[in-house]
Amino acid sequence: MLEYVLRRLVYMLITIFAVASILFVIFRLLPGEATLQVISPAMDDAVQERMKAAFGLDKPLWQQYFIYIKNLVTLEWGRSFVSAQRVIDILEYRFWNTVLLMAAGMCMTLVLGISIGMIMAWRRNGPVDIVGTVTGLIFQAAPPFVTGLLLLMILSYRLGLFPTGGMYPPGQRPEDVLALLMMPEFWHRIVLPTITVGLYYITTPMLIMRDSMLEVLGSDFIELAKAKGLKARVVMIKHAARNALLAVVTLASIMVGFAIGGQVVVEALFSWPGMGQLMVESAASHDYPVAQGTFLMLAILVISLNFLTDVWYCYLDPRIKISASGLN
Amino acid sequence: MSKKVDFSRRKFLHQAGAAGVAASTLSYTGFARAAGKPVEPMTLLTANASFDPVRPEMGRLISQACRGIGWDVELAAEDYNLGITKVFKEKDFDMFIVRWTGRANRVDPETFISMMHHRDGAYNKWGYDNAKVNELADAQQVEMDPGKRQAIIHEAQKVIFDDAATSPIVYPSMTNAYREDRLDGVVPQLGEGIGSLWTDLNVTTKAGDGYVRTGMTSPLKNLNPVGVHDSNEFKELRMIYDRLIQVGPDGSIVPWAATSINAVDSTTIDITLRDGMTFHDGEPVTVEDVKFTFDYCLQWKAPFFLSSLEKFASVEITGANTIQIKLTAPHAPLMINFFAQIFILPKHIWQDIPEKVAVDDVLNFANENPVGSGPFRFDYWDRGKELKVSANKSHFHAPKCAGIIRITYGSHDAMAAAIEAGECDRTRYILKPSLVQDLNKINGIVGKGYASHGMYGFMFNHLRGPLQDPAFRKALDLVIPRDVIRDVVMTGFAENGGSVIAPANEFWHNSAVKSRKTDVKQARAILEQAGYSWDSAGTLMYPA
Repeated sequence: MLEYVLRRLVYMLITIFAVASILFVIFRLLPGEATLQVISPAMDDAVQERMKAAFGLDKPLWQQYFIYIKNLVTLEWGRSFVSAQRVIDILEYRFWNTVLLMAAGMCMTLVLGISIGMIMAWRRNGPVDIVGTVTGLIFQAAPPFVTGLLLLMILSYRLGLFPTGGMYPPGQRPEDVLALLMMPEFWHRIVLPTITVGLYYITTPMLIMRDSMLEVLGSDFIELAKAKGLKARVVMIKHAARNALLAVVTLASIMVGFAIGGQVVVEALFSWPGMGQLMVESAASHDYPVAQGTFLMLAILVISLNFLTDVWYCYLDPRIKISASGLN
Repeated sequence: MSKKVDFSRRKFLHQAGAAGVAASTLSYTGFARAAGKPVEPMTLLTANASFDPVRPEMGRLISQACRGIGWDVELAAEDYNLGITKVFKEKDFDMFIVRWTGRANRVDPETFISMMHHRDGAYNKWGYDNAKVNELADAQQVEMDPGKRQAIIHEAQKVIFDDAATSPIVYPSMTNAYREDRLDGVVPQLGEGIGSLWTDLNVTTKAGDGYVRTGMTSPLKNLNPVGVHDSNEFKELRMIYDRLIQVGPDGSIVPWAATSINAVDSTTIDITLRDGMTFHDGEPVTVEDVKFTFDYCLQWKAPFFLSSLEKFASVEITGANTIQIKLTAPHAPLMINFFAQIFILPKHIWQDIPEKVAVDDVLNFANENPVGSGPFRFDYWDRGKELKVSANKSHFHAPKCAGIIRITYGSHDAMAAAIEAGECDRTRYILKPSLVQDLNKINGIVGKGYASHGMYGFMFNHLRGPLQDPAFRKALDLVIPRDVIRDVVMTGFAENGGSVIAPANEFWHNSAVKSRKTDVKQARAILEQAGYSWDSAGTLMYPA
């Protein structure tokens, strides 16, 4: 087990290094010159050269790359070209905003998805199953900006039940995350983006839970439980659902990674100052240090979650054997 | 020793630029060689719709209109950054459409006359070179008498118009919206609309906590008053930091931290500083701070201010409240382009920067807790979300409201929705014209266009093909469907363009220069007179 974990750790580090290098190249391949976004083209060449020097853009690319990798390892991710703030500080704040939104969305997705999937399997081919499947597929097919816009249009613009965006009322910035969580306005504002995220991701755990439940429901021990005269609800929840959960648990950690990366549209739509919004802003303004940092942080998160899933999977299901080269 | 090969991007672009110039020169020669041949199709570059929904629409209408003179123009709506790289860095373009926004400093004619049309103008990447314009642009810079300078500027506008050097398409209004049921006392400023400093200072709220919630669609990028160069940052920093003078609502100069700025002679300027000013930390504002600001910005080559500071021969403190500046040569645009822009820095804070803040360059200093002497004190800045400042009630022009909260919205639609929902009180900058129209229909909201001295310009590469020919450019100016653009694309929030200085800029605008009325027949007549002809398929041919 230890050897397997170590091996996976090394693979993980290599992958992160490769992602970091690709990111460095990708942002420099973007059409348009970075400095022109930051520096007015009307400024004379001396000023432009002076600003390039301040940002380290006057050095040859290979030197910029080595400085970038060195900074990466020492966790000094540089400063934003645009705001001059430390990238790490910007990312830290934005990261938690995204995590809060993603956590709310994932809770909704998993709780509702698992519950509905369970009921759908229990009442297979009944109206709940059919309506659930069709509705789920519609939500999965609808991009979040469509669902989000509809929610905003109806519940916010027309009925005025929810604010149009933001994390807290203007001018009332909380001191820290705890203070934010204590604000009723925060919970009011997180409802619509949470529903948007939740509806987009709910179908996968719902259908997987349904399929997994159906498989379990065909097992002998379910028949035995029923024969013992246990109540239907007890059989469904205690016996069938618990065994069917494994597949969803595995999926959940992968979904979390993708959900964090997939917040771009939702955050832009609801003016939520998270990583997704930062990604768009920094890429559009050619703010290399911030853009690289944002993408890299997401990559590290997804890669780490995959790693944890693999380890967690071995732990959850002892039937899985580990060979020197990986899982069997 | 073998020659070192430099593969850096800068070198590459430099070479590409040189290649562009070489290509342009070839095409100039080609103009003569192409006698009697079809006029080659060209490309009209604009920013894409996600950057500005109006520009590709204008581009489409203009390129279609060019078919009226038998000339094919292809529209290329591209990423903004890519576009400005092509124009300003690589100089690889035929024609482009750009919005010259009505920034406060552009009230001075320097931008539209010299920077855009002088042979050596900083913006002139399109190779325009007219001896008369160069002469007038030079003359207006050193003419310190406003009346005489006005006459020179009027003449320059006429020459530029007659030469069709640039085609102003329309002068767009500043389309803004605000909640009149929440706010009282908005003061529009020329080119800035109700997003102006004068609104910040004079507006009051009818209910709530007294803070004016101000919406923007682009995030605030920076709070460094030395590194500042973007108009969005100027709009916020001017609340926290004082300037020596301000540009008033009508574009005139208003004394501010300086009670007077007098030109003793054409190269000597005396500044008298207001008494009793203090920074937000309680320290007094002195002439030492003003001198320090000039010296510091020069030492660190502050991007926006450097070219002005380089015209200073010396800066001397001449009294408790007075300072004298000697210039190397007379320079009239200094008043608005420099004295009405530069922020007074507290010496006791900035003298230790960057040494004590662990950065190697002042441009890399985030200034996350700015201390100025301006009418508002900094509260906080949540990057990507909002900036909050509160009224400095001890300021000589204390704001009437409790403060300003600048909120970033993801899009124009989101900002309009927030105004409709009562979450946002006013816009700081342009709101899409169609949304302004919609908002204006709602009770309690005012949506309208305010006067601006900016313009949408149809710009030509004067080194390429037929665009070298004034007759051809004049014909192009005549085919622009200005009425359609004004009424449909701009939904009425604009005026037809004529002179490069907009009529809203009353003092400098030459009212004798009128917009050319769309007239394809006249355009064809001008081309015919200049020797152009058409083949049997109606394609425009160069003069034989």
